[in-house]
Amino acid sequence: MSSKESGSRERTGGDTVPEDMAGNAAHRPAAAPAGRRWGRGLLASELGVLFRRRRTWAMLCALAAIPILIAVAVRVSSAVPPGRGPAFLDRISQNGLFVGVTAMLVSVPLFLPLTVGVVAGDTVAGEAGMGTLRYLLVGPAGRVRLLLVKYAGAVAFAITAPLVVALVGAGIGAVLFPVGPVTLLSGDSIGAAEALLRLLLIASYLAVSLMGLSAIGLFMSTLTDVPVGAMAATVVLSVVSQVLDALPQLEWLHPWLFTHYWLDFADLLRQPIAWDSFGTNLVLQGGYVAVFGALAYGRFITKDVLS
Amino acid sequence: MTRKWLRWMPAVVVPAVIAAGVLSASLPANAGDPLPEKTPQQVLLMLAQHGEKALSGTLEQTSALGLPELPTSGPGAGAPEAAWLELLTGPHTARVYLDGPDKARVQVMDRMAERNAVRNGGELWFYNSKDNTAAHMQLPADATARHKDSPSTATPGDLADKLLAKLDSSTEVAVGPDTQVAGRAAYNLVLTPKSGTTLVDSATIAVDGESGLPLGVELKARGQSEPAFSVEYTSLTLGSPDAAIFNFTPPPGATVEEVPLQERKAAAPPSDVAQAKAAKRPTVTGTGWETVLEFPAGAMKAPAADEPRSGAASLLDQAAVPVPGGRLVSTSLINVLILEDGRILAGSVPLERLQAAAAQP
Repeated sequence: MSSKESGSRERTGGDTVPEDMAGNAAHRPAAAPAGRRWGRGLLASELGVLFRRRRTWAMLCALAAIPILIAVAVRVSSAVPPGRGPAFLDRISQNGLFVGVTAMLVSVPLFLPLTVGVVAGDTVAGEAGMGTLRYLLVGPAGRVRLLLVKYAGAVAFAITAPLVVALVGAGIGAVLFPVGPVTLLSGDSIGAAEALLRLLLIASYLAVSLMGLSAIGLFMSTLTDVPVGAMAATVVLSVVSQVLDALPQLEWLHPWLFTHYWLDFADLLRQPIAWDSFGTNLVLQGGYVAVFGALAYGRFITKDVLS
Repeated sequence: MTRKWLRWMPAVVVPAVIAAGVLSASLPANAGDPLPEKTPQQVLLMLAQHGEKALSGTLEQTSALGLPELPTSGPGAGAPEAAWLELLTGPHTARVYLDGPDKARVQVMDRMAERNAVRNGGELWFYNSKDNTAAHMQLPADATARHKDSPSTATPGDLADKLLAKLDSSTEVAVGPDTQVAGRAAYNLVLTPKSGTTLVDSATIAVDGESGLPLGVELKARGQSEPAFSVEYTSLTLGSPDAAIFNFTPPPGATVEEVPLQERKAAAPPSDVAQAKAAKRPTVTGTGWETVLEFPAGAMKAPAADEPRSGAASLLDQAAVPVPGGRLVSTSLINVLILEDGRILAGSVPLERLQAAAAQP
């Protein structure tokens, strides 16, 4: 199963894998005295591999399709009465910038954690599954730096994914609908430029929200050589956390769940902005990164790398 | 082998550090100077004389009244009529801005939505982002003295004033151990009813040690460990908030409803008003905490008929249980008995008391 899996993966990502190894080889002699420079080169090659990968592009395209679908559906249908469908849906026909907000709201529960889970779950297990992990470890960067680089790659995707949804949403909204002053939840209106800023703020809020999940995915990825297993475990955990968050009987647990503040990004649409949830979310995600980063370190450092 | 275990150390240490940090943060911070001792009278005076009229803060309200919670998601959620009534059930967070007696803004922060009440001089606005509706009211010029706030904005000040009005020989007043509310040291004024029949166990008012501003109110019901109702600041900044906060214009596209002020005093001749008031005035039996209000038949129906109150009605249907002689809406703090002949009795007393009061001629 494992070898078959890695074989098929090697074919799909075939154009990138040799380049990665070639990049490593090119860096190795120059960087023998300075592991740090080697690490920077490793980060660059990691990001290059990640964003040249067809799978990454497919996932980003799928995310971009959400706002496009929403915008087209609202455009061709009659006016949406307020209070039906996801929040902000009825505002889209008045202001195109709300496409981005609605799309982010729709993609938070599943699509964003799904794509981030795929990337984060693939980080270490993907290399192990393809048999390239031990080549990476031959270099002087060491396992800690490799782990950091892998996490940085996952974080880069977690930043990109909500940004794509927000910007594609704002773009398609501007094409199909009028753009003007945006009504905030408090009833105040702000100009389009400031609204775009708020949209980017929401995207950054979601990026922060996905940091914890990325760390969990990284840890899962160190546990197994089967990337699909790590991906599935990460995505399942995010769903489980959201289910637990919906049970009122477990109220004491809710502030500790990494998904608890995911939907509180609406606080950025109030006037004045309520920063409390942003700060609390940042602290919570930092805690998850610390705990699961430490777990991943313990596991990866002590792991016998055979592939 | 030991080396291998050493590698797992961070995975053990990090959660331990986080747990220690959380525990130390949850302990009451007694780092500041303790507040000077004060008698209940002095604290009451502080409370009565506080001059803080300009502030911005965040309020947390929780209630465990035993009322069924209105659905906040799924079908039937957010029916506009129930939107304000819903404030009585479930937890809420609200931001409060006050500047002087005639500028106020309350923002009830719901998930993906917000309810606003803005008062700027004579202008009173309500806005609900869920259905994008606004209501506007023009207050008369002399309203400043009478309408302090809309009834739904239960700031600690309002609640404290109401409780203090009830203070008489029926209540034991004490100053409990100091507390911390919104990071400020506060006196804890504990009011305990002397009566044994009331449903209220105790009422606690947190009074800011510096300014005398009420920072929180907590009502406890008998036989219930968690507070039946509590509202307190989680963050508070004294001083005038940004003046732009009180400027409200309804957003484009919103449904704006102009609510005419019920000019009862001006519209009807004084004698009629007095008669109408007398007819609707509740009969009071009992004193102090055992007070029972009896509303004559029809007193409550009249205002309910001219506006759709389906949300309130459905809540009533869910909450009311049939008892001998009528139906009972029972909460942990107040019992309301709706008799078959239309009379309504209410009080924070057990059902038997209400029935006894109903039986009196």
